[in-house]
Amino acid sequence: MATLENTASGPLLTADGTPLKVSLARSLRRSKLRGALLVLPALLFLIIIFVVPIAQLLSRSVDDTLVNRALPRTFVAFESWDRQSLPAEAMFEAIFLDITTGEKYTIGKATTRMNYEKPGWRSLIKKSGRKFKKKIKGPPYRDAMIKIDKRWGDVTFWQTLGAMKDPQTLGYFLNAVDRQYDANKHVIMKEKERRVYVMLWWRTFLLSLIVTVGCLAMAYPVAHLLATLPLRYSNLLMICVLMPFWTSLLVRIVAWMVMLQNNGVINSTLVWSGILDDENRLPMMYNFTGTVIVMIQILLPFMILPIYSVMKTIPPSYMRAAQNLGAPPSLAFLKVYFPQTLPGVGAGVILVFIVAIGYYITPELVGGKDGQLIGNMIAYHMQKSLNWGLAAAMGTLLLAAILLLYWVYDRIVGIDNMRMN
Amino acid sequence: MRKSLLLSTVVSTMVGAALALPAAADVTVASWGGAYTMSQQKAYADTWKGGKANFVNYNGGLGEVRTQVEAGNIQWDIVDVLPHEARVGCDEGLFEELPRDAFTPAADGTSMDDDTMVSVPNNCVVPQIFWSYVPFYQAGTFDGNAAGNPKTIGDFFNVKKFPGKRGIHTWANALIEMALMADGVAAADVYKVMDTEAGIDRAFAKLDTIKDHAVFWSSGSKPLELVSSGEVSMALAYNGRIGAAVLSEGAKFVTNWDGQVLEEEWLVMLKGTKNKKEALEFMVHASAPAQQAGQAKWINYGPMRKSALAIIAAGEPWFNTGVNIMEHMPNAGEAMNNAVFANPEWWADNGDSISERFKAWMGQ
Repeated sequence: MATLENTASGPLLTADGTPLKVSLARSLRRSKLRGALLVLPALLFLIIIFVVPIAQLLSRSVDDTLVNRALPRTFVAFESWDRQSLPAEAMFEAIFLDITTGEKYTIGKATTRMNYEKPGWRSLIKKSGRKFKKKIKGPPYRDAMIKIDKRWGDVTFWQTLGAMKDPQTLGYFLNAVDRQYDANKHVIMKEKERRVYVMLWWRTFLLSLIVTVGCLAMAYPVAHLLATLPLRYSNLLMICVLMPFWTSLLVRIVAWMVMLQNNGVINSTLVWSGILDDENRLPMMYNFTGTVIVMIQILLPFMILPIYSVMKTIPPSYMRAAQNLGAPPSLAFLKVYFPQTLPGVGAGVILVFIVAIGYYITPELVGGKDGQLIGNMIAYHMQKSLNWGLAAAMGTLLLAAILLLYWVYDRIVGIDNMRMN
Repeated sequence: MRKSLLLSTVVSTMVGAALALPAAADVTVASWGGAYTMSQQKAYADTWKGGKANFVNYNGGLGEVRTQVEAGNIQWDIVDVLPHEARVGCDEGLFEELPRDAFTPAADGTSMDDDTMVSVPNNCVVPQIFWSYVPFYQAGTFDGNAAGNPKTIGDFFNVKKFPGKRGIHTWANALIEMALMADGVAAADVYKVMDTEAGIDRAFAKLDTIKDHAVFWSSGSKPLELVSSGEVSMALAYNGRIGAAVLSEGAKFVTNWDGQVLEEEWLVMLKGTKNKKEALEFMVHASAPAQQAGQAKWINYGPMRKSALAIIAAGEPWFNTGVNIMEHMPNAGEAMNNAVFANPEWWADNGDSISERFKAWMGQ
């Protein structure tokens, strides 16, 4: 108490004599620390399951040490090769020694990687590995190796080593946009028949865009209705919105199949009522149309809920005031109501777009030949082809695209204006 | 089988993850689910005295296996793999190499490896079954059709004579081989033709002829739905799926074996598993001729071991419902008249690049 009275002379002191400022700071720090301790589990959790895997993913997408480790001698010899003519004896000797003395699994993993650059490397090295030790006792190697497998005499195999000589590579990123390195590490387009990813990127973005716009168009009126109806009706409507949200994804997909397929409910009804003849049933399933319809329905709640939560907070008196002041309803909506819903619209758009861009199970089930998206390719390369570098590169590009969108959104609308709920 | 029924996989993986935390010495086997896993459960696990085998479902590929081995956190002891994975996984050191003399020889003393219908690619694998990609249709679909019922692989690619859509899968395996056979290449020459760029072009040109009539599927149950509902008039499917519908559910599907492409299925053991001894015991048991034959009581996938086929042929009617099974086997009798064993070495080399080309073809 004494300190409080002691205002005139010197700094304020607490009972034990330390200045009040210091003491206050100390106790604040302590409570902050305590607060931080409470957040710590969540933070650790985030770091372990989110930050670390993403960092690993990023590093996978540029890592190219496999082949370097497996063929050290070969890459030394590679430096003095003109990359045009068939390599000289020294390089044949180097790769012979690398293959015959290298650790089996190191070579095995490297061949998987080499086969991405040129189909055939895998079997070439595998077969050669078996035969080299039996048939070649010593130098000279070149002719003996070509005799065992004539592909050793094919300069295009050797040239692909150029793309793999550095421990870091952008090759996976190039591959993800249908490009590759040539022997001199210049970037070139892939062969025409193998260009597939650019097309898939466009399709993925286009689909996400259409789905987002479709969701917005449908969600906005529904959200408005939800926010303005009397409670007993709006509760019922809310259940109608949430019911599908809680229903299993696969159940909903199958239900759409029943509705949309060639002999499905809609087509059969149209044919039965004479609007369509039997030959011209509408193709609405196993194509782009089907994917769009099903995805819009699935993602609709992600759009409705944020918009609804914002609309709920807009007092109806604003619209009445605008109309009182002479604005026709459409103008009042545009100038007064709509701008206030923008935070919800922004949140919904971002949410739906981000979820849509990574979607792949639904498109695969209902999309037929148009159901292949970047997400499918990432899953394919993670699970089936084991080309994790390429999967990581595509994942990184996807992440970058989302961050870019986020940035654009921030510039235009402002992240602080976004309201999730 | 390659991508088993998504629904069952998703559901059972979740249930499996929640419930099936196996006790220490139990052997965990990752397999494809559905009727196939059920047949393994009945033929191998239920008859095994050495311990308990728990099955979990997976969706194929080595992605999860590589993760487990690289992290040293082995959840699965044994995995049921496709031919490509059987080779790549062994090359990369993801699987244990197994002592070949531990396995049961045939009754006449032939070793397991010599008793297997194809050459055994490495010391990691243990023979399982053959399954095949094969065209089928619903009986009655082509009643009143001028050309009658389709019979050959050429008919599958002939939408003029045999109208209607075609159900095909979303990846290239078997489709390249079938397209070439439909275009007149003899089964024995298919891979010679596929080794040339012109041969691949030829296959894609043939695929072009059905592209506008194609409905693509990616899960194994889908082609059956497509054919049953009349969405397509013919489809390619895994022979075991068709067989299960016909043999156990009384469906009226007709299988055209002509031009079928057979794929291998192997068991492998994950490198570094703690249950190595038990897992090996289970694999020895599961690959013995008696168990191999026993599996065919439950599903019409063909055992890889010749001696197992002999046991079945001698024991007909072999199927659990009391009907003959040999005529439903992909790797015996008439089914083999014009058939190709998929060449995993070719696919290991060219699979990635063909896959890109196939996706590009689909997307055009």
